[in-house]
Amino acid sequence: MNAKLAAAIGWLAGAAILAALSLTLTGYHADLFRKLLLTATLAVGYNFQFGFAGQIAFSHYAFYGIGAYAITILSTRFGLALPVAALATIGLSALLALMVAIPANRLEGFYIALATLAFAQLFVVVMVQGGDFTGGPDGLFGFDAPTIFGARLAGANFMLVVSALFLANLALFAALGRSWFGRACRAVRDDPEAAAAMGVDVARTRIAVFTLTSSLAAVAGMAYAFADNFVNPFVFGIDAMFVLLFMVLIGGAGRHAGAVVGCVFLFMLPEYLGDLVGRFHLLAYGILMVVVMMFLPNGIIGLWDRLAKRLRPEPAR
Amino acid sequence: MTDLLELAVSILEAGGIYALMALAYLVVLRPTGIINFAVGEWATLASFFSVATLGWWNLPYIPGAVLALAGVAAIGALTEQATVRPMIERGAPILTPILILLGMVVVYREAAALGFGTQNLRVPPPLGFGRIDLGPIAIPMQSAVVIAVSGIMLAGTWAFFERTIWGKAFQAVAIDRVAAGLMGINLRLVAAFSFAGGAAIAGTAGVLQAPLTSAHYLMGLPLAIKGFSALVIGGVGRVEGCILGGLVLAACERLVMRYAPIPSGFAIGVPLLLMILFLLVRPTGLIGARGRT
Amino acid sequence: MSGTGGRTLLTVRGLAKRFGGLVAVDDVDFDLDDGEILGIIGPNGAGKTTTFNLIAGALRADAGSIRLRDAEIAGLPAHKVAARGILRTFQHNRPFKGMNVLENLLVGAHRRVRARPWAAALGLPSARREDAALAAAARETLAFVGLGDHAASDVSKLSFGQGRLLECARALMGEPAIILFDEPAAGLTSVEAERLGGVIRGIAARGIAVLLIEHDMRFLLPLAHRVVVLDRGAKIADGTPAAISREPAVIEAYLGRHAGAAA
Ligand SMILES: Nc1ncnc2c1ncn2[C@@H]1O[C@H](COP(=O)(O)OP(=O)(O)OP(=O)(O)O)[C@@H](O)[C@H]1O
Ligand SMILES: [Mg+2]
Repeated sequence: MNAKLAAAIGWLAGAAILAALSLTLTGYHADLFRKLLLTATLAVGYNFQFGFAGQIAFSHYAFYGIGAYAITILSTRFGLALPVAALATIGLSALLALMVAIPANRLEGFYIALATLAFAQLFVVVMVQGGDFTGGPDGLFGFDAPTIFGARLAGANFMLVVSALFLANLALFAALGRSWFGRACRAVRDDPEAAAAMGVDVARTRIAVFTLTSSLAAVAGMAYAFADNFVNPFVFGIDAMFVLLFMVLIGGAGRHAGAVVGCVFLFMLPEYLGDLVGRFHLLAYGILMVVVMMFLPNGIIGLWDRLAKRLRPEPAR
Repeated sequence: MTDLLELAVSILEAGGIYALMALAYLVVLRPTGIINFAVGEWATLASFFSVATLGWWNLPYIPGAVLALAGVAAIGALTEQATVRPMIERGAPILTPILILLGMVVVYREAAALGFGTQNLRVPPPLGFGRIDLGPIAIPMQSAVVIAVSGIMLAGTWAFFERTIWGKAFQAVAIDRVAAGLMGINLRLVAAFSFAGGAAIAGTAGVLQAPLTSAHYLMGLPLAIKGFSALVIGGVGRVEGCILGGLVLAACERLVMRYAPIPSGFAIGVPLLLMILFLLVRPTGLIGARGRT
Repeated sequence: MSGTGGRTLLTVRGLAKRFGGLVAVDDVDFDLDDGEILGIIGPNGAGKTTTFNLIAGALRADAGSIRLRDAEIAGLPAHKVAARGILRTFQHNRPFKGMNVLENLLVGAHRRVRARPWAAALGLPSARREDAALAAAARETLAFVGLGDHAASDVSKLSFGQGRLLECARALMGEPAIILFDEPAAGLTSVEAERLGGVIRGIAARGIAVLLIEHDMRFLLPLAHRVVVLDRGAKIADGTPAAISREPAVIEAYLGRHAGAAA
């Protein structure tokens, strides 16, 4: 009962902090905040796909882009009402995710990474070459922030929505991760044959995880489209995908807190390195990633666990 | 007719470079089991090194190119020593070095940008910008160089694997690591050598490409993707597969660019589509592997 | 022929598997009754593990039928065989390394889970209650095999023998009709082997049929109700432990050679 209460208080406190930040931050900091939340939402989902289910796919940012492009095109070009456009976007991205997941499931190990990398690159190529329909290399911009229930989704409203989206993703993946489904995922990751011997349908588990996480990436992408009312193909390229992978690995793959910590850490790093490293923050990311993989295989969160254990010896159970 | 011959030359030229990139993957993958995405950045580094040796220091072409390749080979071997070997010795899963090398992709690339800048740097071609007159067509000199050098390199690697005791040792390690180790093959040496060799081969592709397109810090990823597509198309296993894959890929790409009624930008998607198609329909490629991979 | 006089649970007929030119399992027949411990012995490479893999669906048989209470299960994929109540251990311990001991057991309980995926995703009370009930069952099972103190341990912290017990406990968590044990006593100290023998007896006493591959005759003979002997893929004897240890073909093919080598 105590643990449950503590968890509830934790969630409420988190929600309160995010709400307070949404209502107070302005200008540059507001921009940083909402992009950070969107990236963290992606990181939590990617961590489930990669850290929990062990799928090394490079298509997460592509689905983010699919969500952003689809909602923009459906609502501006086809003039669909926002809820309709949103549902259609989710349906479309789930369908695409299934179309990638079912054949990719037959591939072994790192070949999934390559097939999904090719898919992600193709997405960028198609968006760049899509002419007026996709806005080509310039992307789509200048469309209006949507209005729901009379509230314009901009400024603090938008940040509240993104905060809720992040918390909902975190809560969903936390619940899933704790449940039999999360255990089945981790079993499939650790030893697919042994998992099957326990009755886990390996193919179905993999396909379900990929479809769910990819669709939720597309949902985050829908929100992204209205962060600046601007979508551009190069935002969804392979560099962003690598950084997302680095975030999860540096924070600690397979742990929700790890994904969030890694995301905040890498996201904020350039702010502090600032002029010192200039545009070469990617170099810092790469070096950090290599060093963490070599010396902290469980990431920052693993280090934290070790410290916490040392400070507070485990009570007798 | 002239048209077709020119097309054939451009296919051989691009195919040679793609085949070299595929081979760079293979040389590392076979003995170590590591899919190494950093091959593209090795090509980048070598082409920047050639900017230094040929453009800045004005060395004669052959010593300059060899020096650039030696540099990148040393970087390959050092990377293996510093990041891959400790993980293998620690008994980490094979995914760990693969991910570390993914991190190294970014490290190499950004370091190259830091050292050489983000602009295009021209590299002087070894035999100038002239053309060789071959009756119906005149081949650009650099195309001839690319075809000749990549052909020699591919044939040389093939001969190494098929005809020398060292090459046999590589094959033995690829087929059964443990047994090869017991037979007295020095696994560490093979791993270091495979990284150095892979870097030199990818570097050759970079040095050949540089005079055509200039050296640029982002040139690695497209090469890495094309090399991988060629590898998958040809089949992960043999030098012949790399060559065939490189040529098939180049042929598809050039034919689409020339004849297909689509915007030329879509041609970039051809290797991606071909790779996906082969992964799904024929994952063993055109020429299957030999032994276990 | 049956050791316990129970109903026949598993019927294997004409089972065959070849790998290239090698006939690993050659026209094997046997029955397994309710609550029975059936031993399978045979020299190295006799086809014991392959037989298990065929039953468990990890490999596809070239010929033959495997019936679980009159339902044909040959050709089903591994997870469907497990779902029908046949769970296995592996000859070499294969714990899920990224999970603690308790979580490993809960994966074993996969076939008992009734909560729907969306209930799990939303953390609905029904799903949480089921989870808590399974966790309680897992703690009991851990106590039963003697790992009661290790619920929260990392699997890497377990000794080899404890790893074996974990394999047993994980399979047991699925409340199977049949458990397949592949050389569970190999590599154990005699004390550990004795404890494991007790656990296996306890499993049979719960009414679970046990198919037990074992090399070590001293471990197997007191435990098994009946023994099938394989040699080069084929069944060469089938009977009570006492009967098969008198069978000349067995002594020649297995006991003689093995005892000679081990002496
Ligand atoms: N996947 C496989 N591919 C090829 N041959 C195999 C395969 N699995 C087993 N074999 C061969 O089939 C034969 C039977 O092997 P199996 O593992 O069933 O023997 P076993 O009776 O379990 O032996 P052990 O006592 O050593 O565990 C052996 O010769 C083995 O080499
Ligand atoms: Mg065996």
